[in-house]
Amino acid sequence: MTRTLTLLPALGAAVLLWLLAAHALAGWHWPALPFRPEAMTLDQIRLAFGLMPRGAIALVAGAMLGLSGAILQVVLRNPVADPTTLGIQSGAQLALVLGTVIAPGLMEYGRWPVAVTGAAAASLLVMAIGARRAFAPVTMVIAGMLVGMTASAIATAVTLSQGEYLLSLVIWNGGSLVQQDWSGVRALAFVFAAGALAAGLLLRPLRVLSLGAEGARGLGLNVAAVRLLAVTVALVLAAAVSAEVGLVAFVGLAGPAAARAMGASGSGRLMVLSAVAGALLLSLSDGLVLTLAGLGAESFPTGALTGLIGGPLLIALLPRLRGATPPGEERAEASLRRARRPYRLLGAISAAILLAGVVLLVIGRVPGGWAVLDRHSFATFLPMRLPRLIGATAAGAALGMAGAILQRLTANPLASPEVLGVSGGAALGYALAVFFVAVPGTGTLAVGTMTGGIAALAVVAAFAQRRQMPPERILLAGIAVSALASAVLAAIMSVGDTRSFLVLAWLSGSAAMVTPAGAAGLCAVVAAVWAMALGTRRWLGILPLGDGVAGGLGLRTGGARLALVVVAGVAVGGATILVGPLSFVGLMAPHMARRMGLVLPMDHVTGAALIGGGLMLAADFGARMAGFPYELPLGLFASLIGAPWLIGLMMRRAR
Amino acid sequence: MIQRRTFLTAAGILLAASSSGRAKPAPRLAAIDWAMMETAIALGHMPVAGAELIRYRADVEQPVIPQDVVDLGLRGSPNFELLQLVRPDLILSSPYYTQYRARLEGIAPVLSLTFFVPGEPPLPRAFAALADMGHEIGDTAAAARVAEAADAALDAAAARLAPFRDRPVALIDIGDARHMRMFGFDSLFGSTLERLGLTNARSQPTAFGFMAPVPLESLADMPDARVVVIGPPPLAARRALARSVLWRALPPVTQNRVHALPGLNPFGAIPTVLRFAAELERALTSGPTTIA
Repeated sequence: MTRTLTLLPALGAAVLLWLLAAHALAGWHWPALPFRPEAMTLDQIRLAFGLMPRGAIALVAGAMLGLSGAILQVVLRNPVADPTTLGIQSGAQLALVLGTVIAPGLMEYGRWPVAVTGAAAASLLVMAIGARRAFAPVTMVIAGMLVGMTASAIATAVTLSQGEYLLSLVIWNGGSLVQQDWSGVRALAFVFAAGALAAGLLLRPLRVLSLGAEGARGLGLNVAAVRLLAVTVALVLAAAVSAEVGLVAFVGLAGPAAARAMGASGSGRLMVLSAVAGALLLSLSDGLVLTLAGLGAESFPTGALTGLIGGPLLIALLPRLRGATPPGEERAEASLRRARRPYRLLGAISAAILLAGVVLLVIGRVPGGWAVLDRHSFATFLPMRLPRLIGATAAGAALGMAGAILQRLTANPLASPEVLGVSGGAALGYALAVFFVAVPGTGTLAVGTMTGGIAALAVVAAFAQRRQMPPERILLAGIAVSALASAVLAAIMSVGDTRSFLVLAWLSGSAAMVTPAGAAGLCAVVAAVWAMALGTRRWLGILPLGDGVAGGLGLRTGGARLALVVVAGVAVGGATILVGPLSFVGLMAPHMARRMGLVLPMDHVTGAALIGGGLMLAADFGARMAGFPYELPLGLFASLIGAPWLIGLMMRRAR
Repeated sequence: MIQRRTFLTAAGILLAASSSGRAKPAPRLAAIDWAMMETAIALGHMPVAGAELIRYRADVEQPVIPQDVVDLGLRGSPNFELLQLVRPDLILSSPYYTQYRARLEGIAPVLSLTFFVPGEPPLPRAFAALADMGHEIGDTAAAARVAEAADAALDAAAARLAPFRDRPVALIDIGDARHMRMFGFDSLFGSTLERLGLTNARSQPTAFGFMAPVPLESLADMPDARVVVIGPPPLAARRALARSVLWRALPPVTQNRVHALPGLNPFGAIPTVLRFAAELERALTSGPTTIA
């Protein structure tokens, strides 16, 4: 009990910050209840219908997110579950962005139905993936973050394609708590009350469920129904917050974490304390934002601030994760048939890519149709097309190899460069170069990107080096780093100017700017990574068998892992400069190679490189041709190909 | 295959021919930047190609871009092959697009002019761009003529707007029911406002361009101002504003000092300046409008 007293200073600070803002606005001439706008001064109205509902909505929204996170953590028995890590908020975001752009009429009837639909779709996907893998905590979070990243990448690209004029989209993405009346508070308070009531009713069944599904079934509990109801309650709570104030990330993760730190063990206490902690956290964050705004800083969306806590918190929570993946759940694809003549297969793939490359060099679209280039056009187009095709192929190959190495390293089929955090770090490095160098040239940008990628890698590698670090946790550390990187990026962008547009454009990736030197450099990176993989092929063969076997064979697993993480990081860093942080090629290519029977380490890595190159070549072609003359972002186009594959892969029942 | 090849050549000729109607051979201009495109249009040299024309035509009614102007795709990633196919004599760009300057120079000479610098009023730069571009394309006569006409039009508008000098003007653009963007002296609109002899209610610069939404309640800090809303607010925002206690309590709203302007290109040039001046005059003289 005494430990809950630690909440008091937080409460005091939040109240104090709010009072400071209120005093700055209206002194102590507070309006009398009931509020009658006719009888108030303008400043009193600003206090009564602006600042007061703002303080209230911070409390209510924070409590809702905290409760939502607590319910998810109890029902999934997963200490890192929350509306952000499970992709629920990004699903709502994507739905709202699409709604605003495609059917603005629909949004007139309120954002709620749209947001709940999007959140439900995203969580349905994540839950379906999780159900196939016994709701293993790390797998759930990886799936959730992948779904979330894809949703926000699509949302970003759609925002971008609308030019800078859809101001409302940008505001909403930031998660601003500014209020103008009490309608938002009323609506959220109603949902919160309903959600809290539902959570109270579910408490007993959830407590029974915490004995384990088998025992609960024995006691006559409909396990599936309880889980479904609980997740639905959590989802509606989170989606309501999303619809009303936008993206407020990670409060649902921090609330329960604080509650546990205060010693909450039972489900009931956990939920209550999580709601209280969430409310205080969001109020405190908003108080800071208000204070900064009062000091004359740029107005800053509160959601951008809470996003910053996610990454460090995830890393802090890592040790809590017990034996993450139940044995046998993730090894479903180990027994694939092996191709009889792998070299012939690899040769055939190379030939197909070469042929495709030649064809893509000579055909193209012009206004009104397709054309084969005549000799003159070919000569003028070649210096533009060749570096682009080679660059895209090499980037795909680098990502494919990185994916293959990571999947072997972690023995987890969901491992991919996106979750290693390198992409996020590289993006952050790029943004910092854009914002802090007056006129950044290509060289500066490349250095910034590389530095960011390597810094992210260093953090993840530090985790990999720890003894007893299960491979899944490397992935989670990677996710934490990406979460931090994207939150910092969002914070920079939300106070930014036209330079933000530059960063946004780069984030979605494009091969248009590849110079011949850049393409050659990327080819060199690919060759180096392949050579390094060749040098470590024994490790790549042994590591998937598990620590016991690897140790028994005399392999120093810590050092081997570190070396392989560095190799994968270099490959991803090189490719990210070109295609942006998200593509899923690194996830798809290794799986496709395995399905073709390229099972031995070097066959697998080489096959993944070739297939990755081919995929990126196809994605580049599609990105240029689908919306001609409007070029779609390469990374986005690749992830549109990759996402369905990813979902199909993860939905396949583990045998 | 042969047919397709002929088609390509035909397309090339078609693209190359789209400006052949002129009496004397005018330079073929391709515009990546919208302000540069507007400057070229003001000089009477309609570019043969421009970027992101779908969006431009949707957001900005004037100046009209003829349908035979080739759309080069997004400003952020123009289609270089199509640009090559258009065979421009001069590419019009701006420092926003320095990252592919080298690529553009490989296709044709590039004229890159600066309109927007944080902390500086862009109107003088828009006028300077007329002269610079006129010089570059060998039509200094048009540049001088257009600049003179624009100056005269602004002087005339300023004289007619003189009765409105009693109050400052807040130039805003509504994002949603709670946020707006406010144009300062370093925006094209703010800069033109000063040229018209009116005072901008916002003394700080615009945090320009992309984000930096300002809470709508900051309008309470400028109770004397006339509020000029540029561009139609989103439907949902309009409904929410109608219900908002705070919005209805703002002095400019209670005292009927809100005026509406049609959609204008905040990153435009002289044509936008003249249209803004004309629309502002129309809005202020025809009286207040109900936004919500």
